[in-house]
Amino acid sequence: MSNHPPKITATHVNVWYGAKKAIDDVSIDIDQDSVTALIGPSGCGKSTFLRTLNRMNDTVANARVQGDIRLDGEDIYSPDMDVVQLRARVGMVFQKPNPFPKSIYENVAYGPRIHGLASSRSELEGIVQTSLKRAGLWEEVKDRLSDSGTALSGGQQQRLCIARAIAVDPEVILMDEPCSALDPIATAKIEELIHALKGRYAIAIVTHNMQQAARVSQRTAFFHLGQLVEYGATTEIFTNPREERTRDYITGRYG
Amino acid sequence: MTGPALLLLLAGLAFVGWLSARARAVAFRAPKRRFSSLPGHHAWYVALWTILPPLAFLGVWSLVSPALVTDAVLATPAAAQLPPPGFERASILSEARELAQGDAFGAFQPLARALEPAYAAAQARYDWIATAVALLLALAGGGWAYTRVRPGFAARTRTERIVMGLLLAASLVAIMTTIGIVVSLIWEAGRFFARVPAADFLFGTHWSPQVIDPRDPGASLGALPLFWGTFFIGAVIAMAVALPFGLMSAIYLTQYATPRVRSWVKPMLEVLAGVPTVVYGYFAALTVAPYVRDFAVGIGVETASSESALVAGSVMGIMIIPFISSLADDALAAVPASMRDGSLAMGATPSETISRVLLPAALPGVVGGVLLAVSRAIGETMIVVMAASGVANLTLNPFESTTTVTRQIVDLLTGEAEFDSPKTLAAFALGLTLFVITFLLNMIALSVVRRYREAYE
Amino acid sequence: MSNAAPFSTRRPTDWATPAMQSRVRRRYRAERRFRLLGLAAVTLSGAFLLFLLGSMLLRGAGGFLETRVAMPIDFARASLDVDPRRLQGRAADLALAGAGLEGAVDDAAVAAFGPDLGGRILSDGAWLRVREAIKDDPSVLSRRVVMSLPVASPIDVAAKGPGSVEAEAVVASLRSGDLLSTGLNREFLLSADSTDPTRAGIWGALKGSILTMLVTLLLAFPIGLLAALYLEEYAPKNRWTDLIEVSINNLAAVPSIIFGLLGLALFLGTFGLPRSAPLVGGLTLALLTMPVIVIASRNAIKAVPPSIRDAALGVGASPIQVVFHHVLPLALPGILTGTIIGMARALGETAPLLMIGMRAFIAAPPDGITDPATVLPVQVFLWSDEVGRGFVEKTSAAIVVLLVFLLAMNALAIHLRNRFETRW
Repeated sequence: MSNHPPKITATHVNVWYGAKKAIDDVSIDIDQDSVTALIGPSGCGKSTFLRTLNRMNDTVANARVQGDIRLDGEDIYSPDMDVVQLRARVGMVFQKPNPFPKSIYENVAYGPRIHGLASSRSELEGIVQTSLKRAGLWEEVKDRLSDSGTALSGGQQQRLCIARAIAVDPEVILMDEPCSALDPIATAKIEELIHALKGRYAIAIVTHNMQQAARVSQRTAFFHLGQLVEYGATTEIFTNPREERTRDYITGRYG
Repeated sequence: MTGPALLLLLAGLAFVGWLSARARAVAFRAPKRRFSSLPGHHAWYVALWTILPPLAFLGVWSLVSPALVTDAVLATPAAAQLPPPGFERASILSEARELAQGDAFGAFQPLARALEPAYAAAQARYDWIATAVALLLALAGGGWAYTRVRPGFAARTRTERIVMGLLLAASLVAIMTTIGIVVSLIWEAGRFFARVPAADFLFGTHWSPQVIDPRDPGASLGALPLFWGTFFIGAVIAMAVALPFGLMSAIYLTQYATPRVRSWVKPMLEVLAGVPTVVYGYFAALTVAPYVRDFAVGIGVETASSESALVAGSVMGIMIIPFISSLADDALAAVPASMRDGSLAMGATPSETISRVLLPAALPGVVGGVLLAVSRAIGETMIVVMAASGVANLTLNPFESTTTVTRQIVDLLTGEAEFDSPKTLAAFALGLTLFVITFLLNMIALSVVRRYREAYE
Repeated sequence: MSNAAPFSTRRPTDWATPAMQSRVRRRYRAERRFRLLGLAAVTLSGAFLLFLLGSMLLRGAGGFLETRVAMPIDFARASLDVDPRRLQGRAADLALAGAGLEGAVDDAAVAAFGPDLGGRILSDGAWLRVREAIKDDPSVLSRRVVMSLPVASPIDVAAKGPGSVEAEAVVASLRSGDLLSTGLNREFLLSADSTDPTRAGIWGALKGSILTMLVTLLLAFPIGLLAALYLEEYAPKNRWTDLIEVSINNLAAVPSIIFGLLGLALFLGTFGLPRSAPLVGGLTLALLTMPVIVIASRNAIKAVPPSIRDAALGVGASPIQVVFHHVLPLALPGILTGTIIGMARALGETAPLLMIGMRAFIAAPPDGITDPATVLPVQVFLWSDEVGRGFVEKTSAAIVVLLVFLLAMNALAIHLRNRFETRW
């Protein structure tokens, strides 16, 4: 357990899609300097919950979020909160790699550019280089930065997306099943990367691969039917779950 | 100041605003303060505030000012000799305007020459006012925006709100157009129905607008033969041609043709759809009409006309083929492939699959498409203006001359009649009828098509 | 299904029986017939298109040509009041204007072909050619030259095909003297409308079309694009949005003549804008084209995958930045394709322009968007109504010009679509 105050505190969060309730009274803290895994069967609401943390649910027409979510004590659903700044502080990596159909350089430079994070060309180039290095992609692409991002392999594309998220210098990174579209080797690289990034950013990762959750996370939350069934240290959850449903899921009875 | 020069000046002012706001924002920007608005946002905020108010003003002004200028001219003593409102007066005024703008060198009407100075003066005065107000608005808007450029100001949000407002305004143009159509048609048609009883117009069978009895205008303005002719040409004859050809083309293209054939035929149909209706009209009148008339006389139809319903209707049908084909194509493509596979897997031939499985499944989509095609056919103007007759005739014989609503609108409005004679207003009443009918057809068709698409999604 | 026996006792189908075999053959024949029917429908549509284009081309080809007659003119003997020294530069027109050139050309025609034929053999515009020749080479004024000058319309018609008996006789006699020649009719492409078919040209109508399309494009493209962006990306789902959608879908299917009535009542009646002007034509056509552009743009915007929007939102781009940095550039080829197709439709539109008075006889090309003008399709309509037989080929030739523009625009649209279409 960390002795910092939690980075994100979510209390009594409910989400509706139209009349259907997708998240039912979930409370979780996301800690600084650690990886939190959200697991559970398909349709259990883990991705929905992740998307409430940077307000990506705002883009879904009939989604409604209720409850209290705070980033460093600041209410992110308050009317004063600028979503644009929020999303720069809470970065996101998506299920399917989604690079912009632009060059590798432009993909990474886009965020710093719209937020005005670099005052000169060389500073911007520095940011791009650091981000690609941190994402473990620099060596593979340094000679072809002007190639299209969509021409990379799936695993490289996903690391490019991570570099793109890192480039705006976020405090939290949300990963929504980042490896589900990748082969095992690319997956291993991403997991390695998550380890390396852990010290610098608070990371929340949604996965339905339990081995992955066990490998990369320090804390795990188990969701089922929109409810948070159990939340605790990963070792606890996987070796000694308190709840029947958690045990059934982990031992593969359903899911 | 002339229009382009004024616009250039406004653009220049906006650019100056952009530059100065940017400079100011760069100056106060702390080097590492995150997420404050960027200098570019401040710059755009000021630029938009500089250029949008005067542009909005000029847009409205350009629509209103001709009427203002004319009013000012009419208020001058020279205008007292003008004839009463009507065609002659309008032509004198327009000639005077051309003289004043330097577009014309000689005047046919002496009065136009007399009005020229008044026109020039009024024009110059209003131009001056417009320029002054536009520049004032630009300076005021830009200046006010500039004072708001300071460190804490959320320029990006504000700029984006302006852009969002522009987007909303653009999409409102569609509603404004619809309202414009409905209001102007109802207004003019209302004046028509104040003089001619609606029942006479809708159910009367005698149409001869050339001679209108002022005591009973309704007697010669019975539009029933027009409605019949429109229906006969657009919904019966044209569809009899377009439906089999369009549907069979779509079936052949989606079910049988190789990709190579499709890649040739589809653009061909697009070209056919892109040929202007005036070309079809010319073709119908010059090439098709003589053959049809000779043929009709040959089989013993004595009353055969070279402006027959058959000519206009069949050429219109050819024009509609690509339209039906492309809509039927969409409808067939929306049927799930599994249905087709199911039928083929039982040993049905492709033609059995198409006629017993695909077509019934696609029927609502095809029906919707046909309704849209009918709506298009009855609103089609140039073919009937050039190939159909101007004489109203309530007949079932496709070789006899027949007229349509659209043809009569054109005939009624292209004579030089004054603007509020029953003859002119009748065109608007016809237009309103046409609008209502096509509107209903479109609504039914679109909802049928939409429900059909949803059924398979 | 005719077999009523219980399932368990049903015998296996014997496909080899003659009855079954002939049934299968019949079904295959029906299949072939159906297929041929489809092929016939496509072929006939294609044949019709070929016939339409072919007949326009054949008939229109003559419109680009003129028949000329070789005619001697003795300038030395004609009493022209011209000072050869003033025939330099811009003063030339002025010097020749009052010189009585037209009369001299008529005299020369009478001298060459006799008093009867000489008075009606030349086109009304023939003396203008003589004037150009003098300007090119003032030295002809002092000698006798043989010039090829355009003939009058009836003779032109007879020279190109069947004409009146009288004119055909004239053509035959001229041909026997080897006096007739054929050349490109430059005036057709360079001048405006005229009552004399040999002098009528399409440049005036073409310029009117260009000005009108310019107004239409400047209004319909930005408004249509912005409206599409709003509806597709930002509009909340509510009754107002539905109303806008219904309006646009309906406007796209409203008969074009209704837009003409709107233009007449609103722009001419209420606002008092000038009749027959490209400004009003452009405004009217912009209202007509805008829904087409909106619908095409929305489809193009819809085709941009949502993952791109998520990606941009995820790094903190604002909704406006998402659209203007990512969605719009990716949708632009599709939007441009739709715009070109909409503009092509507007270029061929005739009926609404008749309503706002663009059917007047305009003998001079318009200089601006408020001058009286006509447009190509209306010119086609006007010429098709003319009695003179010389106008038949002019009408077809104007149609050829119109179709060349439309086909070029459509080809550009198809090219854009194939070149930039992205599959996601």
